[in-house]
Order: sequence, then structure tokens, then C-alpha cells
Amino acid sequence: MLTFFRRGPSDLEHFVSKAIGMLGDARHSFDLATLALLTKTDAAAVDSDIRETDQRLSIAEQELLSELVVHITVQGPTDIGSVFGLVLLSNKIERIGAQTRNVLDLAEAGVSLANQPDTEELLSERTVISALFGEVADLMTEPDDDAFEDLSRRCAQLKAEQQRKIVSYMHSTEQGTVVVPRAIYQRYLKRVVANLLGIVVAATEPMPATNTLDGDTPDADG
Amino acid sequence: MNTSTADKGVFGAMPTWVRAILVGGLIYAFLAGVSALEAGVKVMGQDTQERLFESVSNPLAGLCIGILGTVLVQSSSASTSVIVGLVAAGAIDIDNAVPMIMGANIGTTVTNTLVSLGSARQSSEFQRAFAAATVHDFFNVFAVAILLPLELATGVISKTAEWISERLVGSSGSDWKSPIKQWVKTPVGWIQDFWSWVGLSGNALGVLMIITGLVIVLVSLGLITSNMRQLIADRVERSMNAVLARGSGSIAMLLGMVITMAVQSSSITTSILIPMSAAGVLALRNAYPVTLGANVGTTITALLAALATGSPAALTVGLTHTVFNLAGILVLYVPPFVRTVPIYCAEWLARIAATRPIWAVGYVMGAFIVLPLIGVIVAR
Repeated sequence: MLTFFRRGPSDLEHFVSKAIGMLGDARHSFDLATLALLTKTDAAAVDSDIRETDQRLSIAEQELLSELVVHITVQGPTDIGSVFGLVLLSNKIERIGAQTRNVLDLAEAGVSLANQPDTEELLSERTVISALFGEVADLMTEPDDDAFEDLSRRCAQLKAEQQRKIVSYMHSTEQGTVVVPRAIYQRYLKRVVANLLGIVVAATEPMPATNTLDGDTPDADG
Repeated sequence: MNTSTADKGVFGAMPTWVRAILVGGLIYAFLAGVSALEAGVKVMGQDTQERLFESVSNPLAGLCIGILGTVLVQSSSASTSVIVGLVAAGAIDIDNAVPMIMGANIGTTVTNTLVSLGSARQSSEFQRAFAAATVHDFFNVFAVAILLPLELATGVISKTAEWISERLVGSSGSDWKSPIKQWVKTPVGWIQDFWSWVGLSGNALGVLMIITGLVIVLVSLGLITSNMRQLIADRVERSMNAVLARGSGSIAMLLGMVITMAVQSSSITTSILIPMSAAGVLALRNAYPVTLGANVGTTITALLAALATGSPAALTVGLTHTVFNLAGILVLYVPPFVRTVPIYCAEWLARIAATRPIWAVGYVMGAFIVLPLIGVIVAR
């Protein structure tokens, strides 16, 4: 009840903070799951931590959506663009959580990419993606066009490289036990990167601007 | 991400302190409007007053007039303030005013029921929204069904209100020096002088003063509500989230009361609940106590109006509204075995309405317009 009489944030900042908290949880799960797959870390040992984090993520998403409904109901549609962006990005963070679980499932199914010829490369790729989580959080707090362009370019490069690997695994003559888990893993990583980029896009421009008066679309009045 | 919430309202973007001063001015205008209404009725003379208000001497007719009047202005705050003004002027007595006040309580529920019709295209959403809206209707109808006969037989509600009023300002027959009445005397004098200057006198002057008072009351209340909504939107949002997180009935009730007192409109509070219920973020059992709190909170306006009249009888009527709503909670919410009755009824009606939305429209027309009209015609 006292909440009514207390001063508090008067804008959407706390939603962004909540979304950044969710992103932090997703990163935690990603780091643990990939660690279980790429190192000798026992998958069972990180399992409960990841499941708990995942649970927390789902609850946070539900809370965020519920609070956004309250926000729109009370404040009216003024912030509809930002609210729509927050709904989209919370959904993408939740998807990253699901993709992380899929990586853990690989490790729990007995797949291990530790001590392999490409382990170092995979670990370095993991570090790059993990750092992207931090960059995305920074861009959510402080939007910056140049940093966004740079992130988009690097994400596109990463996805292209992952796709190239997936194709090469599909056409590889190596044993299925070698290429299939790698192809699946790269597919998950590609989705994680795509969702990370999607979060920034959702935060900056939830809906692509439609301009029917310029460009190729004819002016209906003309 | 753009995180600033635009501050736009009836008067566009304006600093909080300016809006607060504006609300202060609007409250003054509202009080002056009530006082002008009272003065207008007094100008009309005893014979005219008796002819105009004789139909409300039947409690059923009074109840139905209360419903219809509130449906018409979509605000129980406005209708109860008018009733308070009429009592202060001596046009109707406390006994006749009580059923009208109860009718106003029922009539005010039409707004959130109309809001819920907006979800009619989505069956499951509509079912939740309509149940959240009609739980307010059922509570108020049951409260009237129990408390009106009790009041008619024993006068328990009006006597309790009178007892409180006497403790506060003295007996109903006396006059008390309300500082607010003195405060709004000047603008009321201006209104009367203006219409006299135009050349009106007697009943014509009274009617024009009543109309002026009514317009001032309705416009100022509407503006108070929209501006207060802007002023406290962030607080409402935070407290609603707190209620959703904790889910305590008494806290929710207090919140409903405080929000309604602040915005001077139970319709705003209860209408906020509808989209939340439709979206499924607020369960009917959590929305219900907020609604009951809103019922109590809305009585503040009639009490405020009574302060502008300087009449203990008017204050008694204002207090009757508060006592009636508190008694309703005591009878229909406090005992756990009856608490769920309005909820079950609302869920039952919502199930029917969700299968055929035309029933919902029929319900609104029947319960809020046709039945009260029949009641007025038959009982007057």
C-alpha cells in the first residue's frame, strides 16, 4: 500500500533494467552450458543451475509482460512502440534461454567437444558470443547508432561463418559422431547470435518504419 | 531505448506543479458548482421543489432515478454530489436521498461494463473482462438488495451516518458555519448576479442556476479526474504491480480506495482493471477487492460536496454513501462464505455473455436503462 505514496521511477527505465537482468541470466546459462560442452565440466553439475536460471528467466518474462500490460492500461498508448519492443526483446531473451538449454541437452546426451582439435577455436567463438551479451545490454541502456552498426556487422559475420561451418559439416566425409554434434551446436549458436541482434533491433526500432510516400510504393493520392 | 513516458493529458504536456495548481482550482470550481446548484434550488421556492421531487418519495423510484441519473452522467461522484446539493437545499430529505445514493452506486458500474464490451470479439478475453466488470454490478445489486430493505425497516444506515454527522458538525436541523461554503460564496453570488442581470427571476433564475451548477460540477469533475489520472499514473502503476505481486485482498481494497479518492472517480479505477483482467494478468479474485475499495473511495466526492453546502443533512447523506459501502463490504466480503457469491455470479454471467455477446449488450441495456425506467414509471 505504501508503494502508492513512495516516489519511484516515472518512466520505462525499470522495464529496461529488468530486461537487462534477464539478459544477464541468459548469459549465465549460455556460459555454463557451453562450458559443459566444450570443457571437462560435468554437465550434471551445471544442470540444476541452468534449470533454475531458466525458471527465473521464465518468471521474469511473465512479470515483465504483466507489468507492461499494467503500464499500457494505466498510462495509455503513448509508449506503445517501446512496450512492443520490450515484449519482443523479452521473447528473444527467453528464446536464448531455450537455445542454451538445447546446448546443455547436447552435453547431457554424452556429446563432449573438449580436448578436440577444434576446441580452442570453439572456446574462442564462445568468448566472443558471451561478450556480445554485454554489448547488447550496453546498447539497451545507451543507444548508439555507430555501436549498433558495428555490432550488426560483427553479428552478420559471425552468422555467415557459422552457416559456412554448418554447410561444410553437412558435406563432410568425416564420421557422423564428429560432424553432427558440431553442426547442431553451430545451429544453436547462430540462433543465439541472431536473437542477440534481434534484441537490439527490438529495443531501437520494434517496428520497421513504413513510408508510403517515398521510395517505390506509389502514393495512393497521386 | 526511449524510456521517457510522455506527459500528455487534457491540457497537453505541463509541469506537475502547474497541473497540481490546476486541480486545486478545479476542486474550487466543483465546490462552487455544488453551492450554485443548492442556491438555484432554494431560489425556486418550496412549491416548485415539491412538484419536481415528489416522485422520489417512493424508495424504488428513488433507487431507479439514482441508477438512471448516474448512467446518464457516467459518474456516481457527480450524481451523488447533485443529490447532496438537493438535500442541502431542502428539496429532498435524507430518507428519500438514501435510495438515490444506493442507485448511484449501481449506476456507476455501467462504465466498466461498457469498457469490457470492447473485448467482445475475443471470447476468452471477453469472458474474463466481463466477469471483472460485472462482479462490481453483482456486489452493488446484492448490497442494495440486502441493505435497502434493512434501511427502510430500521433506518440503520442513515441513523449511523446521522450519528457521525452530529458528532462532526451538529444536528441535521441546525446550520453549521462551513468555511468552504463561505469560501465559495463569492462565485455563487456572481452566477446569481449574472442571471439576474440578464433579466431572470423566480423559477427561471433557479433553473438557470441549477443548470450552471450542473455544468460546472460535471466539467470540473471530468477535468479533475483526467488531470489527477495524469498526476498519479506512475503511482497507480507501481501500486498495481505491488498488488499483483502480493495479491492481498485488504491491500488491494485500500489501493482501490486511495486511487479512487485521488482521481475522484470509481469508474477510472474499475475501468483500469478491465484490460488487465482481459489480458489475464489480474485474476477476478484480485480485481474484486480493488473494486470494493473504489466503491468506498468514490464517496469522498459527496463528502467534499457536503462541505460546500454547510448543511448537516447534506453531510449525513454524504456519510450515508460511505456507511452503505462499508456495510456492503462487511456483509458481502468479510464473511468468507458469501465472499465468492458475486464472483460466481459474475463468472456465470460472463460464460453466457462470451458464447453470445449480444446477451452482454442486452444485459447492459436491460439492467441499466430499461429496468430502471420501468421502475421509475411504475413506482412514482
